[in-house]
Amino acid sequence: METQTSRTEEKLQCYHCGDEVSNTYYIVDEHHFCCLACQSVYQLLNSNKLNGYYSYNPHPGRSTKNNSGDLSYLDEENIVNQLIDFKDDDCMIITLYVPQIHCSSCIWLLENLHKINANILSSRADFMKRRVRIRFNYQQLSLKQLIALMDSIGYLPQITLQDVVKSERKNDQYQLIRKIAVAGFCFGNSMMMSFPEYFGMGSFEATYARLFGWVNLSFGLIAMLYSGRSYFSSSLKSIKQGRLSLDVPLALGIAMLFIRSAFEIIWNTGPGFSDTLCGLLFFLLIGKWIQRKTYDNLSFERDYKSYFPIAVTRILGGQEKAIALADLAVGDRILIRNQEIIPADAILLKGEAQIDFSFVTGEAFPVEKVLGEVIYAGGRQMAGAIELEVVKSVSQSYLTSLWNQPIFSKPSSFTSFSNTVSRYFTPVLLGIAFFSASFWILSGDYTKAWRAFTAVLIIGCPCALALSSPFTLSGILSVFDKNGFYMKHTLAIEKMATVDTIVFDKTGTITNPLDHKLAFQGKLSELDQLLVFSVCRNSNHPISRAIANSLPPFYRAPLAISAYEEIPGKGIRATADGNEVFIGTPHFLGLGTGQPIGTYIQLNGKVKGYYSIAQHWRPALPNVVQQLKETYSLHLISGDGCSDQHLLHDLFPSGTPLYFNQLPADKLHYIQALQQNGKKVAMVGDGLNDAGALKQATIGIAVSDDINNFSPASDGILSGTSFLLLPTFFRLAKQAMKIIYSSFCISLIYNIIGLYFAISGNMSPLFAAILMPLSTITIISFTRLAVYYCAFKNNMKR
Amino acid sequence: MSVLFFLIGCSVCIALFFLVAFFWASKNGQHEDTYTPSIRILFEDEISASNPDDAISNEDK
Amino acid sequence: MQQLETFSYDNKIVRNFGIATIFWGIVGMSVGLLVAIQLVWPVMNFGTQFSTFGRIRPVHTNAVIFAFVGNGIFMGVYYSLQRLLKARMYSDVLSKIHFWGWQLIILAAAITLPLGFTTSHEYAELEWPIDIAITIIWVVFGINMFGTIIKRRERHMYVAIWFYIATFVTIAVLHIVNSFELPISAWKSYYLYAGVQDALVQWWYGHNAVAFFLTTPYLGMMYYFLPKMANRPVYSYKLSILHFWSLIFIYIWAGPHHLLYTSLPGWAQSLGVVFSIMLIAPSWGGMINGLLTLRGAWDKVRTEPTLKFMVVALTAYGMATFEGPMLSLKQVNAIAHFTDWIVAHVHVGALGWNGFMTFAILYWAIPKIYGTTLYSKKLASIHFWVGTLGILFYAIPMYWAAVVQGLMWKEFTPEGVLKYPTFLATTLQILPMHMLRAVGGTLYLSGALMMTYNLIRTMRKGSLLANEPAEAVALQPLIVNERSRHRRLERKPALFMVIALIVILIGGMVEMVPTFMISSNVPTISSVKPYTPLELQGRDIYIREGCVNCHSQTVRPFRSETVRYGEYSKAGEFVYDHPFLWGSKRTGPDLHRVGKKYPNKWHFDHLLDPTITSPGSIMPPYPWLIEQKLDTTNTASKIIAMRKLGVPYPDGYELQANKDLDQQAKSIASDLKANQVDVLSDREIIAIVAYLQRLGTDIKVKEN
Repeated sequence: METQTSRTEEKLQCYHCGDEVSNTYYIVDEHHFCCLACQSVYQLLNSNKLNGYYSYNPHPGRSTKNNSGDLSYLDEENIVNQLIDFKDDDCMIITLYVPQIHCSSCIWLLENLHKINANILSSRADFMKRRVRIRFNYQQLSLKQLIALMDSIGYLPQITLQDVVKSERKNDQYQLIRKIAVAGFCFGNSMMMSFPEYFGMGSFEATYARLFGWVNLSFGLIAMLYSGRSYFSSSLKSIKQGRLSLDVPLALGIAMLFIRSAFEIIWNTGPGFSDTLCGLLFFLLIGKWIQRKTYDNLSFERDYKSYFPIAVTRILGGQEKAIALADLAVGDRILIRNQEIIPADAILLKGEAQIDFSFVTGEAFPVEKVLGEVIYAGGRQMAGAIELEVVKSVSQSYLTSLWNQPIFSKPSSFTSFSNTVSRYFTPVLLGIAFFSASFWILSGDYTKAWRAFTAVLIIGCPCALALSSPFTLSGILSVFDKNGFYMKHTLAIEKMATVDTIVFDKTGTITNPLDHKLAFQGKLSELDQLLVFSVCRNSNHPISRAIANSLPPFYRAPLAISAYEEIPGKGIRATADGNEVFIGTPHFLGLGTGQPIGTYIQLNGKVKGYYSIAQHWRPALPNVVQQLKETYSLHLISGDGCSDQHLLHDLFPSGTPLYFNQLPADKLHYIQALQQNGKKVAMVGDGLNDAGALKQATIGIAVSDDINNFSPASDGILSGTSFLLLPTFFRLAKQAMKIIYSSFCISLIYNIIGLYFAISGNMSPLFAAILMPLSTITIISFTRLAVYYCAFKNNMKR
Repeated sequence: MSVLFFLIGCSVCIALFFLVAFFWASKNGQHEDTYTPSIRILFEDEISASNPDDAISNEDK
Repeated sequence: MQQLETFSYDNKIVRNFGIATIFWGIVGMSVGLLVAIQLVWPVMNFGTQFSTFGRIRPVHTNAVIFAFVGNGIFMGVYYSLQRLLKARMYSDVLSKIHFWGWQLIILAAAITLPLGFTTSHEYAELEWPIDIAITIIWVVFGINMFGTIIKRRERHMYVAIWFYIATFVTIAVLHIVNSFELPISAWKSYYLYAGVQDALVQWWYGHNAVAFFLTTPYLGMMYYFLPKMANRPVYSYKLSILHFWSLIFIYIWAGPHHLLYTSLPGWAQSLGVVFSIMLIAPSWGGMINGLLTLRGAWDKVRTEPTLKFMVVALTAYGMATFEGPMLSLKQVNAIAHFTDWIVAHVHVGALGWNGFMTFAILYWAIPKIYGTTLYSKKLASIHFWVGTLGILFYAIPMYWAAVVQGLMWKEFTPEGVLKYPTFLATTLQILPMHMLRAVGGTLYLSGALMMTYNLIRTMRKGSLLANEPAEAVALQPLIVNERSRHRRLERKPALFMVIALIVILIGGMVEMVPTFMISSNVPTISSVKPYTPLELQGRDIYIREGCVNCHSQTVRPFRSETVRYGEYSKAGEFVYDHPFLWGSKRTGPDLHRVGKKYPNKWHFDHLLDPTITSPGSIMPPYPWLIEQKLDTTNTASKIIAMRKLGVPYPDGYELQANKDLDQQAKSIASDLKANQVDVLSDREIIAIVAYLQRLGTDIKVKEN
């Protein structure tokens, strides 16, 4: 867990959130606070004797800049019922996702909510899942009030569509663990029962051999029926679909192990293979489990549901009413207030639309939209309330529909390596089995024939084979994840390895939207700057903050502000000791149109100039290009003008095709064209405006500086900070394939060794008991180590 | 060596007991959260002096 | 409907167990020091039969294991369980019964053992009445613990609690199984099983007692107290859970490694070895988990004595759990077994792991429940350094001694004869090491005394917070989200406990039935005959005097041993040994083939004063065997009991047993007389000589 450790600089820190206190006029019992929000939280906790909160960690709070928005939908019973876990006459239980949870203080506070309000009966936090489960008396305290209360202490839960559509993975997760436990139990005991067999029994103990055998068999039966179930069912499924997945030979092997053991024990011809059976299942399931764990740890799990609100305000006959998102229909007229998210593609009907697509595209600053324009779902309204008419239902909206596309229905139907192998594996195995059987039959040795046949199926069982591919890939996946490259699925890595062409998008991809230069056109005196600073520091708008930060340090306290007014999407109006200050769009300052884009400053009615924002190249770009151009042919398509074309020419190797003023459609077609020339294309874009291209490409990588961004079309999201690692990721992907191939070879060698004994019809139980788990373990460890080694060689975080 | 089988029996029984225990545990959600408990034990339990009345007064904040 | 409940933690019981821990700790260690010295200067046996090494050594082991560590466990459990479950102990009455009951048991042990009432099973020497008492008190403890668990206010059961549960369940089973005794009088009983089988039961118990009495509860305590002391969560809670479950499923099988090279079936031995090796993984997982908990807190370790103790405790645990599996490797075992190595190994665990962690917990918990701070941190860290020094001074010389003696036993001259044919030579060789060992013990003990002073001052400083107030929300019934988003309420785990216990009981029954049906099918050797009444009596004296503490009775199939002692032991030779007397340590030579080796006179002199026959011997003299009359009143009942246990005494033999006894006694007496030794035939010494002369002779008879 990352606890908030106080920074070493002697800069003054907010007692609550630890943010730097730029000036000191929020002081309560000689604690300094950065803002009113922090101060009020402190006061609230203090009044409820919850100062313990500050004793476990310094500055445990998080400055809560985003406001809760409208919670009225929480009064709608049908919506509430969708959210809660349990409800009876007087108490209600709900599990809330609280992203702010980050340290032990958070847990402590959230589990002491009952001290703030007696109607909260109990609350339990889950640190890893950032969830808190609250049981409260809803007759006294409505859910809405509860949420408000949590907001007031800086722990506003994030209620999204996800909460309604609960995931069911958890359940079978525990099933798997139980299966492992049973398999392990049977394994341990049957192994013990087999010891006499392996180490030889005194004549006087031989009488008990049969007893051991039977006990063993029962353990085997339990293990197969309980732990091995899934293999049979899944292989049946795959046969029904006409495919031969690797589970088929696995199931065959398991079945054979049991059948043969049963025969040997019932006819008392041998000790049987129960221990092998149990051991095999045990290790297979362990492998499965480790794999599952790796996937679970991947950050890239959420889908659009977790970004969408659960309810939206519909206007019907002048009546505003919150309705569940699911009930939203095409043609509905909806009201979107400031800071709310647009849940479905809709046409702007009324109001000033300043849509912030930052969590979709990573674009830092809001985009202005005009009446009648279609606004894609996922944008956040930054200005005042607007009214829209829904043109597509939530599930059909551009983003969601993109998201819902199953990965495999992509134009290039790509089959993974293991699938290719498994297609041939089973027939070959069966072939060998029958061959050896028939061989012994011809030589008239029927028992040997039966033995050989079963032995082949047993020993040929691709326990190791089945693990090698998913293990390597999941390993690589987690390495990527740790280094800021979030893949959606393992297949993407196999694709990545095949790529030979890389197409870059410009804005937000090779330029960094967050790293922008604020250039001021005009002149500001020392005093003017102080005025601007005093005003801007009160606003949370990204530009205001950027401006405030850009100004040089002052040696005097900021000026007192009066008549402060912030008009969302337009600007700020305020009076700083007597001076009238306007900061905002030209339109806001009443300047004519045709002015260059920027944030204008007007002091006492005089326009001083404007701040223009210019994006920067990602510093790593030249480096990245250098490394990539060796192995890949590079292309660049940009949505906007060619103002800085010459720069790009210097950056990219000569002869690199550079295209400008390309529409999303053009980008898509360009990719298609490349693919028609048999190229395997990787598209590196920024998310939305090249979504089509991303989807079309063999592999689409969305670069974004806020990894919570959600770009459905891509196969993976590359965190902007990791942009310089891009070449390494490509290299790793290639190495991953190498690892897979070699681990396949290893497991094949095991199988061949085994088969040699199997065909000759004399495979001792001990041999099987050792060989089969051994091979599994070898593969598990080999793949892991190999992956770590590669990651280490490319000095990546592991 | 009859006792051997007795001992084996005992051990299997014990193992069985713990297997059942394990099942109960995972069913009961004991393994759902494998991190927070380790922090929870660090909290000193103190008595809250706040009486219910002023607790209620915070209700609609 | 506010569900916030206020309650209080019972600190008094914690304090009581704490004090008991300290008190018995001092006692146990002092006795330990005494026996250590006795192994150097026999005069320290004080010439009374109640203070000979053979009788005192069990007092030491029992006092340290069940009194010191036992009380330590209960202190730790009663402190942590209440707080982990946010509930007061289930019943104060049960707590009290538990406390006083346990102290009485210890007292009884301290009295009966010197009196020579012993079953001769190591770490289970206590006679059957005390065994029953232990069972009852243990059940009381169990009820109290599970009661608390059931009425807990914290849904999650922290991993420590699982370790406690494991301790309770397993020890219960082990203790009961290893106490199947057939009483023949208030303070005398015979084990149901004989020879090899008895040995197997004993070491199945012996090993798991170590596992589940000295290890699991302490691991549980480690997982609670270490994070509390360092005020940081355990390095990986996931790992700790994994640690528990894997340990539980492996430990139970490692027992047989105590019987390598004995006449236990080979595969059972190998079983023990394999599982012992497998044990390294979970054990070290636990140790690493503990040590890594302190990562980034090493500055605290420098200042906090409690953490210092914890670090050494964990290290010692790591050493011991690595050494154990190594010792269970046949090759290593061949040399190390029966030597001081085992003693050193055990003490690294006991002094380092158990001792130091107990100290740490005492230093941490006592001030807490007395609402004050430790009287002197400085003194505590002095204790730490003295103690650590003590451990080193104890362990290193013992390892050294072990290697020296082990090799001397096995050394042959180029001519192929033993280099050191007289066992005594090897013993004298290592006496200096034993002196050093005593020094180590002294250091350790003095450390403990410092702690006692320190803690007394601490208690004076503060005042006991007998009932520590606390509050928590009542446990809510669990709501489970089923696959199809149905919700349902789930019952409390009480039912589960009951069912589980029933299952285990039924299972146990099912297992027992065949056992008692099947007559032990150890290959019987025709020439092996039951003991004569006199020998039987002599054997019980052998047991009473605790000879088994220094003399093994099993010759392993090595040249070095067969040459030194004679033909190696066969399973069939022990079929009438209730209990087995193989022993686990050779302070003196093995006695399985001593029969007919020396004349009766030699034995007489040797028992009268060992230095007569073997100058420099560290064995104490047993003059009282000559003075004391042999009690033959119980001969009949012993014969009957033996017959019940399958020893083929003819029906009605008990009636003429004493006649035979007298006859044999007289013959021995007359033989002694012939050698100028005048002794009455009704003395104990006659019986024990008879027994010694019988030892291992059955096979010789067959050979010639």
